[in-house]
Amino acid sequence: MAAYVLKRLGYALLVGLGITFITFFVSQVIPIDPAVAALGENAREEQIREFRERYGLDKPLLVQYGLYLQRLFRLDLGRSLRTGRPVAEDLKEFFPATLELALSAFLVALLLGLPAGVWAALRQNRPPDLLVRLLALLLGSTPVFFLAILLLDLLHRRLGLLPGPGRLDPFLLPPPRVTGMVSLDALLAGDWAAFRDALAHLVLPAFVLGSASAALLARMVRAAMLEVLSQDYIRTVWAKGLSERQVVLRHALKNAALPVLTLLGGLLGGLLSGAVLTETIFSWPGLGRYVTQSATSLDFPAVMGVTLLVGVVYSLLNLLVDLLYALLDPRIRYA
Amino acid sequence: MKRGFLGLALTVLAAMGLAQDRTQVLVYGGDFTDLITLDPQVVYEFSGVLIADNLYETLVRFEGNDLSTLRPGLAESWKVDRGKEEWILTFKLRKGSRFSTGREVTAKDVVFSFERALALKGPGSFLFTEIAGLKPGATKALDPYTVEVRIPKTASPQSFLSILTFTIGGVVDSEEVQKNAKGGDYGKDFLSSNSAGSGPYRLVRWDRGSQVLLEANPYARVKPKTPRVILRYIQEPAVLRTALESGEVDIAEGLTPEALKAIAANPRFKVLRAETLRLQYLGMNMKAGSPFAHPKVREAVRYAVNQDELIQGLLQGNALKIQTFIPKGLLGYNPATPYAYDPARARKLLAEAGYPQGLEFELLVSTGICGGGVPCPDVAAKLQADMAKAGLRARIRAIANAELLATYRAQNHQMVLAGWSPDFPDPDGNATPWADYDARSLAWRNSYQDEVAAKLARQAALETDPKKRQALYKVLTERVLHQGPYAVLYQPAQPIALSAKVEGFLKNPMMSSPLWLVEKRP
Repeated sequence: MAAYVLKRLGYALLVGLGITFITFFVSQVIPIDPAVAALGENAREEQIREFRERYGLDKPLLVQYGLYLQRLFRLDLGRSLRTGRPVAEDLKEFFPATLELALSAFLVALLLGLPAGVWAALRQNRPPDLLVRLLALLLGSTPVFFLAILLLDLLHRRLGLLPGPGRLDPFLLPPPRVTGMVSLDALLAGDWAAFRDALAHLVLPAFVLGSASAALLARMVRAAMLEVLSQDYIRTVWAKGLSERQVVLRHALKNAALPVLTLLGGLLGGLLSGAVLTETIFSWPGLGRYVTQSATSLDFPAVMGVTLLVGVVYSLLNLLVDLLYALLDPRIRYA
Repeated sequence: MKRGFLGLALTVLAAMGLAQDRTQVLVYGGDFTDLITLDPQVVYEFSGVLIADNLYETLVRFEGNDLSTLRPGLAESWKVDRGKEEWILTFKLRKGSRFSTGREVTAKDVVFSFERALALKGPGSFLFTEIAGLKPGATKALDPYTVEVRIPKTASPQSFLSILTFTIGGVVDSEEVQKNAKGGDYGKDFLSSNSAGSGPYRLVRWDRGSQVLLEANPYARVKPKTPRVILRYIQEPAVLRTALESGEVDIAEGLTPEALKAIAANPRFKVLRAETLRLQYLGMNMKAGSPFAHPKVREAVRYAVNQDELIQGLLQGNALKIQTFIPKGLLGYNPATPYAYDPARARKLLAEAGYPQGLEFELLVSTGICGGGVPCPDVAAKLQADMAKAGLRARIRAIANAELLATYRAQNHQMVLAGWSPDFPDPDGNATPWADYDARSLAWRNSYQDEVAAKLARQAALETDPKKRQALYKVLTERVLHQGPYAVLYQPAQPIALSAKVEGFLKNPMMSSPLWLVEKRP
């Protein structure tokens, strides 16, 4: 088991290297000079030359890549061309906001998608099933920006039920930064007013971001459950006279969990890396916005840092999913 | 024990008071994503300058929208002497100005700040080194309240004084900064997200991508009318509008023209049109072999742009019609607009230049937003339609702004739609780049080599008598208007929406905003 985990971590490292290689060379194909992009229209020739020297942009390509790898082994992701700060610092600043939002959205997806899928499977082709399928189709196909603006207008502007964009009411004092996740930080500081407000601020963006995943999950759970429910042993369990609750929770769900688990790993990864629109609309200072700004200003150290981080997180999530398989299915063993 | 509890209770009460009295907190919403540092000697981005202006004081400053009269800042008086080799500027500091650390501002801090600007070589440092010719060691403290600065005779003392109003001339607490310096960085890391100035506010915290919190500097000479300011990042215009309407922000910058129209009609809000010094223009490359090398073709282009329709239609009036290259608000502004839209006349000029069938060329535009908040391709489409009637057939090529700049800098364009803002509030901030080929700026990019214009620009830069200077700029702007490679289109205004409760808000043409003057009525 330990050997297997180590081997997989080694693979993750290779994946990371591959990612840096591809992003680095893609960055060189773009016919725009990052120095000009960073310094703007009024920049002097000397400033541009100095900028190139400072960031090593004047060196040959392979040398630049070699230097990058060298620094990487010391966990130094280089300096952002746009912010002038170490990329690692920037990631530390922006990743917690994304993590907070992604985990909340994941929770939304689980809480909505899982029960809805089970319910629909148990009532196949009856009104509950049709309702779930219709909702899943609607939520899964509504563009994020549309849903976000619609809900903001309705629940925030017109009804005033939920707060608007941002992570905290601007008139509240933000809690001291510990984890960078405002809700958790407020909790740690024991600041209940800020905690409540931070949670309220999370509801809309988490729902908007998580809704498509919830829809996908509901359909997946439904399909997996239908397959399990039609099997002989389930009929036997029913025949034993167990209640629906016992049938579902004790016997069916566990067997339907394997394909769903695969999906969950991918979903969480997607939520972590695919929140650009949600973050923009809700003024959420996360990785998605950071990387779009970096990309538009050709800030490749930053783009590579984010890509690497997301790649590593994906690899780790996959590993986690594989390990959970073994936990759920005693037939699976890793050696 | 008891006292500790009382103290705690008071702190909690104070915090609750702050959290609740909304008239004491001003919230400014907009796209602040360009913010990368708040260090006065390094900052060069719009948002950074806006904030740093409220954290630091300069020796001299401009007041309100008037960029032609210098007023006392940290210096209560100053004089300019003509030395043998150099200009000698002497500043008398006023007593009793204090940093947010409580220390008094002295000549030593001014010297440190200026040397710091030279050592850090930030993006704005060329203002000191190239425009003013300032050298390390040229700034001296004669006594705790007197500073002497020497700049070469070739530099313009007027330009230097204007530059000193900019954040790069902001005075930092030298002791506080040196205490926090790391490995010879002059405290650059520290000041990028902390403040050590004598301005009306001090920086409390900056949550990147989310908000910036300012609080009244307890020692400041100037007490702000609103003790707390929050700048909130809101990028999406529709969301910004919602935030303004629901009272979550008091000031909103970056709304669409349609949203502004609706807001202006609502008595709970008002719209302010801040003047800018930006110019939107067409640049024509005059290099040998190009059709635009012929003066009559350039003349034809100037008759073929319909400025009035562009400004009233597309820009919804958010711009000023201008044809000369010094924007309104600076000394030397020339209101002449001799070119009216006249396609027939343009056609005739083209025929005289040897293009009776008209002319086809490429018009380079950015895919981004042009002055006045309108997408550049939309501006280009309007120009294309108007010019087509005169036989000037433009093929529009829309590319990313960075790529456009690279092409423009390499002189690889035929015609380009571009914007320009002066680096400092002085006519020379435009005159040299637009008229002097050797400055390797706009004149060079458009292959406009005119010795007479270049000489006029140099002469005007050094002239200290405002009247004579104005006369020189009149001659220069007229000359470039008729002979140069430009067709200036408009000077955009920047509309900002405010809650009607907000009084005293102002944004000057250099995009700085004295937030300490803003008051919020209940």
